[in-house]
Amino acid sequence: MTAAIQVERLAHRYGRRPIYSDLSFSVPQGKVVALLGKNGVGKTTLIRLLMGFMRPSAGCCQVLGEPSHALSPATRARIGLLLEGHLTYDLMTIAQIERFYRPFYPRWRRELYFDLVDRLGLPHGHRIGNMSCGQRSQVVLGLIFAQDPDLMILDDYSMGLDAGYRRLFLDYLRRFLDEGGKTLFVTSHVVQDMESLVDELIFLQRGGALRQLPLVDFRRDFRCFGFQVDGGSAPQPDALIENVDLHGREPVLYSFADREPLEAHLATHWPQVRLGDEQPLSLEDAFIGLTGKY
Amino acid sequence: MRAAMLSAIFLKEWLKVRWVWLGLLVLHLGMLLYLLLAIRHQFRVEHSEMIWYWAFELRRLLYAPIQYLPLLTGVLIAIAQFGPEMLGGRFRLSLHLPLRADLLVWSWVGFGALMGALLALLDAVALYWIIAGWFPHEAAVSALLTALPWLLGGWIGYFGATLALLEPAAPRRLIYLGLSAAFLALLYQHRGYQEYDQVLPVLIALALLFIPAVILPAHRYRHQR
Repeated sequence: MTAAIQVERLAHRYGRRPIYSDLSFSVPQGKVVALLGKNGVGKTTLIRLLMGFMRPSAGCCQVLGEPSHALSPATRARIGLLLEGHLTYDLMTIAQIERFYRPFYPRWRRELYFDLVDRLGLPHGHRIGNMSCGQRSQVVLGLIFAQDPDLMILDDYSMGLDAGYRRLFLDYLRRFLDEGGKTLFVTSHVVQDMESLVDELIFLQRGGALRQLPLVDFRRDFRCFGFQVDGGSAPQPDALIENVDLHGREPVLYSFADREPLEAHLATHWPQVRLGDEQPLSLEDAFIGLTGKY
Repeated sequence: MRAAMLSAIFLKEWLKVRWVWLGLLVLHLGMLLYLLLAIRHQFRVEHSEMIWYWAFELRRLLYAPIQYLPLLTGVLIAIAQFGPEMLGGRFRLSLHLPLRADLLVWSWVGFGALMGALLALLDAVALYWIIAGWFPHEAAVSALLTALPWLLGGWIGYFGATLALLEPAAPRRLIYLGLSAAFLALLYQHRGYQEYDQVLPVLIALALLFIPAVILPAHRYRHQR
């Protein structure tokens, strides 16, 4: 399967502060991939690099087969881009913004745009600057759908949306993806939304550590166990233990390993630790388990 | 670039500048009316020989009140056009359009320069008409030639503000503003009539360099590190 996005050995730094030093991943065509990470790990920077708004310090980003910093107009026409905060032209009305974008996109599907924005019940002369964040998000999503893009890059679509508008946004997005042939690369802070949307997850951690895996594998393999310590110190993250959380009522540890190898590992390296019951994990719990609370 | 794209770009630019431009149109009409009434008043209270002496012997400019009007116009049109693009990084929306960035930016400045040119044309026609109402044709032509550096000041003001607004790096912004201010200082040195006739073609040629220059900050905005 060819990749819609291919990132190889990417490095980027702000002044002397490194963001990534060796980042590699790919987004296969036709897949929905979420980039997850805590604030400040460089998600938005990565989107900017992918869209050619910044030049990487080293490495290479290819988007739809072209270097991201030299995307041709024809390739840009195939990419639907949502910028953080549902950024758009506030000075335009619902009708004006459709008229503005239409000539740039050869596959423009105005019916998709109006289908979405007409549900707002607002007149077409309504100014976007006078809309709520949720209403604006629908206008922006409608514009992206109307482009009929092959690749959609959505940077933090959930920013500023209440639960209702967030659900609405996802419902329309899923329906559009059901048409088939679309690739979606999305970042969000609302991790639980990803459960019913994505095929693969990319976890980006501070310093540029990255882990990419299918959602089903992550949900199946990533586990949380309570534990007790009989004197001595609590276990630390190592080759088998991904993370240890001592902040809750009961201390817990997270691992991709099954119970038996984990118990054997603890007996060898942390003999004072007794493994407790496996605990159920929501996707958000699992995300925090992997990336940590701080 | 197809005509429909250009018309879409012009639609957006018009939506951005329309209120500022209409406000400037009112200001220009008001200033020109003031100039007309001021000259008419002078001819009512003074002998025409005395006004001639002031104007052509003492080289006192009768239409000095409008000299900074084109500059103000250029700066305000640039702010109206490029201020909203820079707010919240909306420039990225434009750079993502499937269109070459240089053509996009040239379309923008082409539109802005056209809007400024319409007001400059209004000033030039009105200035000729007002001066020709009391003075011979030669004096009206001389008034236009004298006002040309001011109109060029509008161009410099527009492009200087455009460069400073599009530029992502603050030190470069200051350099653009400094260069534009120095150029403007050159254009407002005169104390009489037609003092720029000889040097104006050179200044116009230099001012035209702003057209390719506006591509540089847009390029840097796209490829900043």
